[in-house]
Amino acid sequence: MTSFQSTSVEWSGETPVPQKLSWFQRLQPSSLLWLFLAAILVVLVVAPMSMLLVTSFTDGATGGWTLGNYVEAYGHERHVTALTNTLKMGAAVVVLKLLFGVPLAWACTRTDMPGKNFVRYGVFGAFILPPYLGAVGWILLAGPNTGWINRAWYALSQSSEPLVNVFSFWGLVLVTSIGGFFLVFVFVSTAFEMISSEMEDAANMLGAGPVKTAMKVTFPLVLPAIIGSAMISFLGAIALYGVPALISIPARYPVVVIQLAEFFSFPLRVEVAAAYSIPLLLITMSLLGLQRLVLNRKGYTSISGKGGERRLVKLGKWRWAMFGYCFVVVALAVLMPLIVLLMAAFSKNWTSFSFDGLTLSNFYYVLFQHSSSQKALITSVSVGAVAATAAILLALCIGYIVQRKLLPFSSALAFIAVSPFVIPGIVLAIGFYAAYAFPPLALYGTYTILVLAFVTRFLPIAFTTSAAGIRAIHPEMEDAVRILGGGRLEAVRSVVAPLLKRTLAGGWLLIFVPAAQELSTAIFLVGPTTRVVSVVLLDLSEEGQLETLAALGTLLLLIIVAVVAVGFRYLGRDFMLRRQ
Amino acid sequence: MTCLKSIAAAALIVALPLGGAAAGEMTAAETELYEAAKGEGTITWYVSQTTTEFADGICAQFIERYPGVGCNAVRASGQVVFQRIQQELQAGALQADVMSTNDDGQMYRLKEQNALAQYAPENLEHMVPAMREMADPENYWITSGVSPLVIAYNTRLVSEEEAPKNWTDLYDPKWKNQVAIGHPGFSGSVGLWTVMIEDLYGWEFFEKLEENAPQIGRSVADGHNLVVTGERKVALAPLSLIEADARGKNSPIAAVFPEDGALMPPSVTGVMSDAPHPNAARLFVNFILGPEISEYLASDYRYPLREGVPLAEGMRPLDSYRTNVIPIEEGMARVPEIQTKFRNTFGI
Repeated sequence: MTSFQSTSVEWSGETPVPQKLSWFQRLQPSSLLWLFLAAILVVLVVAPMSMLLVTSFTDGATGGWTLGNYVEAYGHERHVTALTNTLKMGAAVVVLKLLFGVPLAWACTRTDMPGKNFVRYGVFGAFILPPYLGAVGWILLAGPNTGWINRAWYALSQSSEPLVNVFSFWGLVLVTSIGGFFLVFVFVSTAFEMISSEMEDAANMLGAGPVKTAMKVTFPLVLPAIIGSAMISFLGAIALYGVPALISIPARYPVVVIQLAEFFSFPLRVEVAAAYSIPLLLITMSLLGLQRLVLNRKGYTSISGKGGERRLVKLGKWRWAMFGYCFVVVALAVLMPLIVLLMAAFSKNWTSFSFDGLTLSNFYYVLFQHSSSQKALITSVSVGAVAATAAILLALCIGYIVQRKLLPFSSALAFIAVSPFVIPGIVLAIGFYAAYAFPPLALYGTYTILVLAFVTRFLPIAFTTSAAGIRAIHPEMEDAVRILGGGRLEAVRSVVAPLLKRTLAGGWLLIFVPAAQELSTAIFLVGPTTRVVSVVLLDLSEEGQLETLAALGTLLLLIIVAVVAVGFRYLGRDFMLRRQ
Repeated sequence: MTCLKSIAAAALIVALPLGGAAAGEMTAAETELYEAAKGEGTITWYVSQTTTEFADGICAQFIERYPGVGCNAVRASGQVVFQRIQQELQAGALQADVMSTNDDGQMYRLKEQNALAQYAPENLEHMVPAMREMADPENYWITSGVSPLVIAYNTRLVSEEEAPKNWTDLYDPKWKNQVAIGHPGFSGSVGLWTVMIEDLYGWEFFEKLEENAPQIGRSVADGHNLVVTGERKVALAPLSLIEADARGKNSPIAAVFPEDGALMPPSVTGVMSDAPHPNAARLFVNFILGPEISEYLASDYRYPLREGVPLAEGMRPLDSYRTNVIPIEEGMARVPEIQTKFRNTFGI
């Protein structure tokens, strides 16, 4: 294609002249799609977070620019203490979660420990049990005077001091940890499964004993997974609302989320709450940076990769000791709290449980008499399902564009899609509140704002799941469709979607389960008609109606377990215990 | 007295020729409100005054009397309810129609914010005068109950002689790890209780109480549960919840009327000025003062609002023991400061 330019006396050569496109011609379907996705991400992520930042510098009364919110937020010793307390608590939780998750992951993937399935199911149970129900279970177990453990202790020892007290720093740490070590287990198991025994054999042959091999080969290989899961654990711990509301108030251990709730009480100071949450955001961001720095300096991330033989470590006489440890973890995390919750749900008064006194009246009450429970169950399940579906679909679109490099700047979309990962749920809620609660949108108390916030909260999981799934599909297959005359959409419909079905369904469940239980994001966004189960449970806990609460919690668990069981049937049991 | 004047005015406006109608029959004004309310749907009632169970009971009776009008009770502790209403007002998306609280200072603030509607229900006429006078003289809110805060103790673990006699007994070292109180940052009536105690004994009271490591709940409504289960031997609790447990359910709990005076926080109810269901909201507030609810209150060991409704068996009449009332302006002025002091002393 050549052209002749009138001003030139020579032929202009073989280089094509760039075509001038009008803005209208640039608006091709693909760019429109990019714009559309970008707009969605702006609504979900960029706007609430910018609003949070802007609000933190806005004078509540005049609307002008101010630093006063930061002075108010951090100018009080008590407020600073809550932040340092949170960091201490977060650090302790990380340690405990690793102590729970890493040995269990190792035992289940690399050893000949008996009862692996039991442990896997137990760990999965810890994922399904919402943190606030775990907390209530532990209040029934370790309340200082009437907790089951302490009652047994008083009867046995004649002591007047409780053996364990859930209303303490360590109670808070334990209860926070039992809910979140599932992710540590999943991440670290995956890493263990990637290590080939040949590498360990090499170390053995060169004269290293089992301990040295573990320290020099095995452990460094899983270190990235451990650090990554430690990050997630920390983020999860500092952003949780339910557990501190139930435990840290009686324990008198103020943490950031309780302080944030105080800013939301009268006089309502959203600006100060925003200012107070910015450092939390900075901390999580710098942790992420630190993680990158640590992992990039050393080159071991690249070593991992599937392949090679994996032999199980023979534990010999330690087999049962290992199982014993795993059993203790599962008992602390799931069995003990769940059993006492069920006992409370079926009795009139949880402290005087007897098999003769079993009753269904609590269930009848929450299902048919209590004003908001029945509706809240429906709301939780449907908002969870809608949010999970929306997040997965959105993530699929973005993931596909990013992986196939269909559009320029697609990596920017990917970055925004995973960024909510560093935003604590309660901070996200404040951002959403600041951005969308007010007129002209006035979304406060609507289902829309709940779904939007939940989609944002779980977008990172959705994106990582779908992106990994798409990466595994070779573009050749789609090219075949296109050579045969099908369009891009046709290729997605007939190749990508069927191949990804399992991955997407697994991802959907991974989002649905926490979304149906979500409290931290919901607490400032629900209205009287959009109450989700978690919020109703929290209100019930204020009244000390632990039997009713246990019954409602049991119903929520039953629904979630039913949905997951369908998933198991369809996807196979292992889908969630292995990373996609 | 403006109060009496406006009640008289209200009575004139509703222009009832004869006294109150018996339960079942509707007055002319009631019928008119009911007709207007039918088209509006379901009211949202934010309530911290009672437990969820009791509030749901009120709603159920309301729906029974007025078919076609719905009632959704949303129960939380006083400060939480107030926070949600403030959030809604700020967001310009008011969802609440009616609010009931044990902290009348909250009503006062809402009135200042022009968030309350002026409404004098016709049933005011039949109220116990002492209770009627606790309400707003300009009829921005009504008294919807009184629930004295007293001391609860577990009768299985504590004998009547051992039990505390007055508030200062709560910091007796023998109750170490055995006291439960609420948090003034969450509960409205605990806020007023904290003001009352500071007036009586100064802030040292709380410093001494702190040494007993009280369990601090959020609402005042869980103290009685802690006592019944035996988790705590003594607790700050509303009289009605103690009596309902003790007499209604035969639980091992009893009330002590402190010699230095129970706290009498009037429970108050107001209609929001921008209520999404204005007529249904007014119908509801009038219904609260009707005979059904007074009987319902009495049956649950609470004080009935109407004259002539007998107390539940064993209930002591309000004037038979000492009570302290915190004047509304004082409570309002001092609660925020007292919340901070409380947080500093108890570290939460």
